[in-house]
Amino acid sequence: MCQKESEIKQNPSHFEGTAEEHEMSKTIQANYMDYVKGMKFFDPHIHMSSRTTDDYTALVDAGVVAIIEPAFWLGQPRTGLASFKDYYSSLVGWERFRSSQFGIKHYCTIGLNSREANNEALAEEVMEILPLFLYKEGVVGVGEIGFDDQTAAEEKYYRQQLEMSKEASLPVQVHTPHRDKKKGTELSMSIALEHGIDPRMVIIDHNNEETVESVLDKGFWAAFTIYPFTKMGNERMVELVKKYGPERIMINSAADWGISDPLAVPKTAALMKIMGISDEAIKLVCYQNAIDAFAQSGQINVSDFETPQEIDQSLKFNGNTVLRGGQIPRVDKNSIFIS
Amino acid sequence: MNAKDNLFEIIKANASQKELNWIETKASGSLQSLQTAFVATPRFISKTPINTFETLNGVDFKTWTLDKLVRAYFLASLSDLHKEVYTKTLHTLFETAENNEAVALISSLVFLENPETWLLRATDAVRTNIGVVFDAIAFKNPYPQEYFSELAWNQLVLKCIFNDKPIQRILGLDERANKELATSISNLAHERWAAGRSIPPQAWRLVVKYLDETIFEDIKRLFDSESQNDQIAAALVCKYSEFETAKSKLEIHADLKDKTKNLTWSSLEC
Repeated sequence: MCQKESEIKQNPSHFEGTAEEHEMSKTIQANYMDYVKGMKFFDPHIHMSSRTTDDYTALVDAGVVAIIEPAFWLGQPRTGLASFKDYYSSLVGWERFRSSQFGIKHYCTIGLNSREANNEALAEEVMEILPLFLYKEGVVGVGEIGFDDQTAAEEKYYRQQLEMSKEASLPVQVHTPHRDKKKGTELSMSIALEHGIDPRMVIIDHNNEETVESVLDKGFWAAFTIYPFTKMGNERMVELVKKYGPERIMINSAADWGISDPLAVPKTAALMKIMGISDEAIKLVCYQNAIDAFAQSGQINVSDFETPQEIDQSLKFNGNTVLRGGQIPRVDKNSIFIS
Repeated sequence: MNAKDNLFEIIKANASQKELNWIETKASGSLQSLQTAFVATPRFISKTPINTFETLNGVDFKTWTLDKLVRAYFLASLSDLHKEVYTKTLHTLFETAENNEAVALISSLVFLENPETWLLRATDAVRTNIGVVFDAIAFKNPYPQEYFSELAWNQLVLKCIFNDKPIQRILGLDERANKELATSISNLAHERWAAGRSIPPQAWRLVVKYLDETIFEDIKRLFDSESQNDQIAAALVCKYSEFETAKSKLEIHADLKDKTKNLTWSSLEC
């Protein structure tokens, strides 16, 4: 389906649709949230430390009840161990608190990302402190780890962290590379199997049409990142769910400091609904499969986000009574007044 | 008995046999095993509320859960370590603490060796914006009353007032009231009034002993406030104060005098 009439005019496609379809696509653009009313979503990969409170508000409004924030590269390379330590602490501290202010349950995965694994001197130090964080409450996996350039150093620390995941009985969230993705994905899986890790404990992330079949065939979880330009678009995602069904497939936004969309999960759910995918399948792909995969950590208690939260009035900061009466204070973006 | 043994007695009365076995194994293990046990506690210990009337070092456990108590016990178990190792271990635990761990650490300050040496950790908890961690130092914690300087104490109380938190839950609130704090509360009220906002009425309980001509101007303003609780606060200040002008002012507001005859500050608690 073509969603934007304006685009159709500029780029006449193989299928331009009827007048009714044009009308419908305009309505859908304006009201996509109507298609997912009452649905709950779980985004198993989103870097909230890089996002604003506007995004938290938007997530709540769209029905996202719980999220996982994987440890990753901050864009600016870290030069010392303390930077890593403070970052991991913020994932189980400040960011977890910030999220709770909006009634969103925040989990995280902890690991040394593939890019920075290439700074071996620092990586060695990071390996020493990782166990301090892996056993913490709400840490639902080792992640995101894996390959970037597919160097020897990346492989070394990927292997070490796989061993740590075994020791801690934690799932593994595997980042697959942008470049030479297919080879990197295969390598990541074969190394995990070599270390005797049950593929049911491994979530292979950032899949695409080229990688998904092998991942599913080998018994791993296949996660898809809906991210503009560089990763999956959600129309392609709908086609994949149609082709492979919802089993062991999950989607995420991987929203971060780049041009990305924190609402990727609910938006894709809406598109799936419009395209005739069943509610049951949507629930599996946008909610349940992620929970089933990461709850193997023993750190997810679904009642924390499935039953309406008692708002803790002690969760106030800086003079803002953020959650008073369960209402998130709204800022009227169009108002010139700030009070 | 020392803190460690006392804590264990309360744990025994509240934990299952399976939990007790895990605790005992970990407590008798290596330092690393103890440290990991502190972190991993919620994986093995339930979060059931503690049932005890006992108090220890000024701590009552009414709002404690079992996992928090077990963490306190592990911390108290570190006290046999050599001083340098002990200090280093605790610093690591503080610096890498997840929110619930931070709460356990701050709530257990009085069970640590030489509690006064952990003052900076305590004042850092006042500086935090993470609600649960701030509450752990502010409320029902005997540490600030005993170890905070006047400056640190006043910051704690002011931040509570600033954030609309229930100051009556601060231990030693009335005992440590002071002139400087009374002035700061008055200043805060002026800032808020200028912005068209207000301060929680019960904050005025802290100026009672330090009422003078300047602060009394604020009390007069409270009498004229549209908020009934402000008026009650004004009347209560006058009722408890020795300041003569205040006493005569209350006589003028006979209705409020009558109304607050049987009221105390607890009537205004949030």
